[in-house]
Amino acid sequence: MKPSRARAGRPSVPPVAYAFVLPAVLFMVATVLYPLAFTVDLSFRDVGLREIVAGGGEFAGLANYRAELGGAEFRSALWTSMVYTVVSVALSFAAGLALAVFLNHRFPGRGLLRSALLVAWVLPSVVSANIWRWLLDGTYGLLNAALRGLGLLDADVFWLVQPATALASVIVATVWSTAPFAMILLLAGLQSIPGPVHEAATIDGAGPWQRFSRITLPLLRPVSVTVLLLLFVTTFKTFDTIYLMTRGGPGDATTILPIHAYLEAFSFFRFGTGAAATTIMLLIPLALSLFYFRALRREEVA
Amino acid sequence: MKGSRAWLSTVLGVVVAGAYLVPVYWMVVTSLKEPGDIFATPPRLLPAPATLGAYTGSVLGSPGVLRGLANSTIIGLATTLVTLALALPAAYGLARFRIRFANAVLLLFLVAQMIPAINVALPMFVIFSRLDMVNTYAGLVLANCSLALPLAVTVLRPYFLTVPGEVVEAARVDGCGHWSAFWRVALPVSVPGMVTVAVVSFLGAWGEFVFALSLTTREEMQPVSVVLAGLTNAFGTRWNDVMAVSAVVALPIFLAFLFLQRFVVGGLTAGATKG
Repeated sequence: MKPSRARAGRPSVPPVAYAFVLPAVLFMVATVLYPLAFTVDLSFRDVGLREIVAGGGEFAGLANYRAELGGAEFRSALWTSMVYTVVSVALSFAAGLALAVFLNHRFPGRGLLRSALLVAWVLPSVVSANIWRWLLDGTYGLLNAALRGLGLLDADVFWLVQPATALASVIVATVWSTAPFAMILLLAGLQSIPGPVHEAATIDGAGPWQRFSRITLPLLRPVSVTVLLLLFVTTFKTFDTIYLMTRGGPGDATTILPIHAYLEAFSFFRFGTGAAATTIMLLIPLALSLFYFRALRREEVA
Repeated sequence: MKGSRAWLSTVLGVVVAGAYLVPVYWMVVTSLKEPGDIFATPPRLLPAPATLGAYTGSVLGSPGVLRGLANSTIIGLATTLVTLALALPAAYGLARFRIRFANAVLLLFLVAQMIPAINVALPMFVIFSRLDMVNTYAGLVLANCSLALPLAVTVLRPYFLTVPGEVVEAARVDGCGHWSAFWRVALPVSVPGMVTVAVVSFLGAWGEFVFALSLTTREEMQPVSVVLAGLTNAFGTRWNDVMAVSAVVALPIFLAFLFLQRFVVGGLTAGATKG
């Protein structure tokens, strides 16, 4: 047994302490844990439109999982999810780092520019997705007009209608929103690197690139890992941007896992297979958040 | 020499930020154009003549959009209140007492922020269908609180950690119970945190889309995010109208960002970087 008075001012736990915390915990159990458990139950049943309200649904064993894992749609969505997430995260991190390094220098108006860039991140995704659709419009969109003006384009490109350009488009829209988020976290990381470290390296004859690759990047590693992890988790669960820009199309070119699960349940009313898809998909963020949580605890203890 | 280089950075910075925010500029400009002007080739970079027609016509003049705005306001306010009511005592309890399972509770809050919304929206639709809670404010508020609550606890807990235990103990010696010590001593310290939580919870619910889409099937219950999404479905989208509604949806975020930036950015990044 640990001593009950572990820290000064922190008395042994009176029962009322639990009364403070319990309502919030019960709320989370009811609105998150219970639905997740409920999904697992659904995923073992044959649930169609009738069973949604009536309840029940015949026990189907692993049939839904077999249908999903064996089916081309789920595999394609898993692959698209990975491509979309990895490319978006890489670009967002690179852009965020470039912006952070730039903003780490002192110059007039720096604070204002930092705030201006953050606008892209705080904008609701329903809004930014609509803007991107309009910018990328094949006939009247600003992007095609700009490219035509520069002489780079002689025919209209319908960005969201062709599979390859559609995926690239939703990636660009995603990176536009998430790069400022990476920027602000990386900037905080950069600012925690003491100035004398750079000065010493300069005196020792290190050039700007050497200072960046030998000093800044290694010292930024812990922050970078956090940023990459958070970017991955948030990008992996993207729904709004893609649903509003392409609905997962053309065909299934931009159907990532959350879109696939949504369409399975809400468009085709196959809640059983939809539940199986979300349950499998949950494993990825779950594993990453456990990893993240352990890293955070270690940090707090250290 | 050094001064001029700094100004060069400013110029470069303005160019970069300007290019980055072209989409936002294009939203505003398009929303101020006349309907025929949208299809001009090449597109005009300034609205000539500028008109508020899209705002008066398809925002103020559209019962569907107005109802969406009202729905989102109601859901946002209720989400904020419920979140604060649950998060304040929870954050205090976690900061002040060494309760058992505290790690498990913090892990629950962290995981809740990481799971895709569809993972909760799908079962919630089935559960709500059986409880007759689809198309209700209560359903949407519950769903939105499940997103707002973990972030709120994360933001608030550090404030309560700054209250020295001795101060709370002194209040207790003076005859305060645990609840009134929380209410009178700890709560005032957390006011900046409460502002952050209120702003972030409201804006989160305001822009939320997955629950809004999944848990409403009747038009009169749809939040403005879903109404906005519906506007672009029609063939031959009237982009000036869509951009005007988009700008109105973005307005509270812009205002909060302009006047409460410290709280908004602090709140969201706190949620992202601390467990």
